[in-house]
Amino acid sequence: MRRRVPRSLVAFTALCFVLLHLPVLVLAVFSLNRSRYSVQWTGFTLEWYRRLLERPDILAALRVSLTVGAVSTLVSTVLGTMIALALARHRFRGRTLLEGLLYLPIVTPEIVVGISLLLLFATLHMALGIPTIVVAHVAFSVSFVTVVVRARLEGMDRALEEAALTLGADEVATFRRVTLPLLWPGILAGALLAFTMSIDDFVITFFVSGPGSTTLPVLIYSMARRTIEPTINAVSTVLVVVTTVLIFFFDRLTRGREPTEGAL
Amino acid sequence: MSGARRLLAGLNRRPQLAAASLLGPGTLWLLLFFFVPIAVVFAYSFMTRGVYGGVTGGFTLEHYRRFLDPLYLGVFRRTVTLAVSCTVLCLVVGYPVAYTIARAGRWKNLLLFLVVVPLWTSFLVRTYALIFLLRDTGFVNAVLLALGVVREPLVLLYTPGAVLAGLVYGYLPLMVLPIYVSLEKLDPTLLEAAEVLGARPLARFWRITLPLSAPGVVAGAMLVFIPALGAFLTPDLLGGAKQMMVGTLVQNQFGAARNWPFGSAASFILMAVVLVAVLAYLRLRDRAPMEAVA
Amino acid sequence: MTDRVRPGTLTRREFVRRTAECGLAASAAGALAACARREAGGGAAAAGRLGPLEKELNVYNWSDYIAPDTVAGFEREFSVRVAYDTYESNEELLAKLQSGARGYDVVVPSSYLIPAMQATELLMPLHRDLLPNFANIEPTFIDPPWDPGNAHTVPYHWGFTGIAYRRDRVREIAASQAVWSDARWRGKMTMMDDVREVLGSMLIWRGRSPNSVDPLELREARDDAVRAKPNLRAYKSAPVKADLIAGDVWVAQLWNGDATQAMVEQPAIAFAFPREGSQIWADTLAVLTDAPHPRAAHEFLNYVLRPEVGAAIADATGYGTANRAAAARQAHPIPYPSADEMRHLEYQRDLGADTEAWDRIWTEIKSA
Repeated sequence: MRRRVPRSLVAFTALCFVLLHLPVLVLAVFSLNRSRYSVQWTGFTLEWYRRLLERPDILAALRVSLTVGAVSTLVSTVLGTMIALALARHRFRGRTLLEGLLYLPIVTPEIVVGISLLLLFATLHMALGIPTIVVAHVAFSVSFVTVVVRARLEGMDRALEEAALTLGADEVATFRRVTLPLLWPGILAGALLAFTMSIDDFVITFFVSGPGSTTLPVLIYSMARRTIEPTINAVSTVLVVVTTVLIFFFDRLTRGREPTEGAL
Repeated sequence: MSGARRLLAGLNRRPQLAAASLLGPGTLWLLLFFFVPIAVVFAYSFMTRGVYGGVTGGFTLEHYRRFLDPLYLGVFRRTVTLAVSCTVLCLVVGYPVAYTIARAGRWKNLLLFLVVVPLWTSFLVRTYALIFLLRDTGFVNAVLLALGVVREPLVLLYTPGAVLAGLVYGYLPLMVLPIYVSLEKLDPTLLEAAEVLGARPLARFWRITLPLSAPGVVAGAMLVFIPALGAFLTPDLLGGAKQMMVGTLVQNQFGAARNWPFGSAASFILMAVVLVAVLAYLRLRDRAPMEAVA
Repeated sequence: MTDRVRPGTLTRREFVRRTAECGLAASAAGALAACARREAGGGAAAAGRLGPLEKELNVYNWSDYIAPDTVAGFEREFSVRVAYDTYESNEELLAKLQSGARGYDVVVPSSYLIPAMQATELLMPLHRDLLPNFANIEPTFIDPPWDPGNAHTVPYHWGFTGIAYRRDRVREIAASQAVWSDARWRGKMTMMDDVREVLGSMLIWRGRSPNSVDPLELREARDDAVRAKPNLRAYKSAPVKADLIAGDVWVAQLWNGDATQAMVEQPAIAFAFPREGSQIWADTLAVLTDAPHPRAAHEFLNYVLRPEVGAAIADATGYGTANRAAAARQAHPIPYPSADEMRHLEYQRDLGADTEAWDRIWTEIKSA
């Protein structure tokens, strides 16, 4: 690059990055601290992580989070990919309206989404539990998956598909052997994003969870309200590490020709 | 397989049908579990409050009328002020960061990754991390005391500053990313031409870079302002629950106050603001040209 | 009257470990043996109307409100698998129940909620013949005003609100509701994030009832609360325990049981009973109308009513138990309020339609 960035700007940006990551890093570091209450470093220990394995409520919440995550990711990825295909490949009436409507779940405050789903389930006398959480998670993930897959679709070179069609392959075969493999990284990225959002969600899940369906973030919330102990740091760090790994792969998959489109 | 082929051939002849079958399930899901619930909230907002919670039927505008009361208008005003402050702060901090990343060359991908990770990390975990950092007996004060910078712990937590810091910390990546995207798309030849024609760096920035990155700025502002309006965790956990925001009000109505219709009215007003903002944004986006060069 | 509450007998570390493990379905969790001596004739009689004992049970209780081995002991003895969920407030319980959370059997509502739950037909009339251990309940809590004849509830614990403070930071403190207006500890005090407690304290300070719905009295209390607000660091309920222990907060409005739990972690914490009086409440065990496992629910209630089980729970929670036989077994039971103290304690009552007036004042206080 010919244009250089002023030194002050670099310093400012570096500071911002530090501040952006410092809280979670401190949290993680202190999950390894032997001391229970104080922030004085009294020694390295994995004790708090060991305790996680002994806590049935944490293990149960982990199970619930993974179950909800897996199911909601599957459903929202399928639905989101289908919508993305329709938006990118077809012309139809009401297209702009749909795009606008798809944007709404992304920006709507979570409390509104949570309350509205609670009211819906109340009106329908539907029991709150894992199914209702899955329904909620799919509802807010679909739009995100659509954005990611669509970005991939629009970055794809149609020439390959056209070549396949010209060479005699029909729609199904072209889709199966050309489009889908090319699209696959985008679909996977969308799935990773949906999974990440699902395991990390708190507000919406808080309103729609019921008996035996406490997820990890909801558990962290009630743990943090009761007492301060490094076990909370440990659980949180586990969640953060999992998220970081997922986003790492998401990032890898959405890189390529259009790193800009993929990042969001 | 041949059945599928025939089906697809049929769909091919009717593109509208193909689009519909692809859109169908997803759109249906969103309609059922996003838009219908909002309609339910709207319906509830006109009902009468049940004495023990829930609703009894009837139609009343009383809940919306209540918002004309200066007390509740004040709650909205305070919330909007906080959301605006957060947005402005995110812009002031986020724009330079986005600018630097756009110019970072081979560091670009790493920096982007570092911006994206906090975005997807659980908001709750990040808020808790901030509490851990800011409390009187927390990390920041421990460091300051150890370094001798202060003699007494600074009161950082449970202050309006903590709430603002928490919101900015939470939403900054949402501002950085859209601005980065629009800066990245900027055609460098424009700037080169300006330089050749004698424009100084500041002028180049002011008259070319900034206006062309406006779509990113607007998108970022939207992505920050709207969720910030509904914030209730941050004012509660970081602010010591001392100020009532619209989000807290809504949560309260579904909790201790047991006034679901009023809470629904508040939710719906919030939703209405979101709708207006999104419509305005879409209008702006479709009308303003993205490229300055013919 | 200070220091009414004495900490339990457990060592600090063991208490910490125990309270961190309020149990779910257990295989190897917590190798604490429960003394499961079967009460004579417990539960076997008159089983007919509710059917046979189910294999599962869903309990929905406050967090930190049971002993670590209670559920495990019950599961072992009765071969019932228990799913145990927790909530943080009565309103959370009510909201979840009213919005259709199905599947819970046993819930633990506070006394003031009972009329509301009965009015909305959420509670099942108890089969008292399945609860022979009910005889262990302290007479004060039998046939209470909120549940005549104990038709729907079994008293569990009782408690009252007072002033928890750090003895090492606050040299002397007036055991009075005036403390919240005392600027000496400005920035180091908290009150609960609960309109009934905040406004209630101000009403009591002025000699009024914490259940008042008189507009003038409420307005005066509101002004008092708004004047006290600048002294407060935060509005925080039971979770302020952690801040007290850490020393971020020096004076906190807190329930006696939570104060006891905090004392175990931090011996410098003391508890004062305000001389003007305070609010008393009782938490109760109840069975939901549509409970899927009603027989198991009743057996669980009867199990909890056993003296040794009740004593273990009271030791773990730090609250006074409504179970007289259990209190007799505790090394340091919370003494029941004397007649004089009862004069200064008032049960919190549901406000019904007047909740709206109180809520508006809460918004005013929070907007100040």
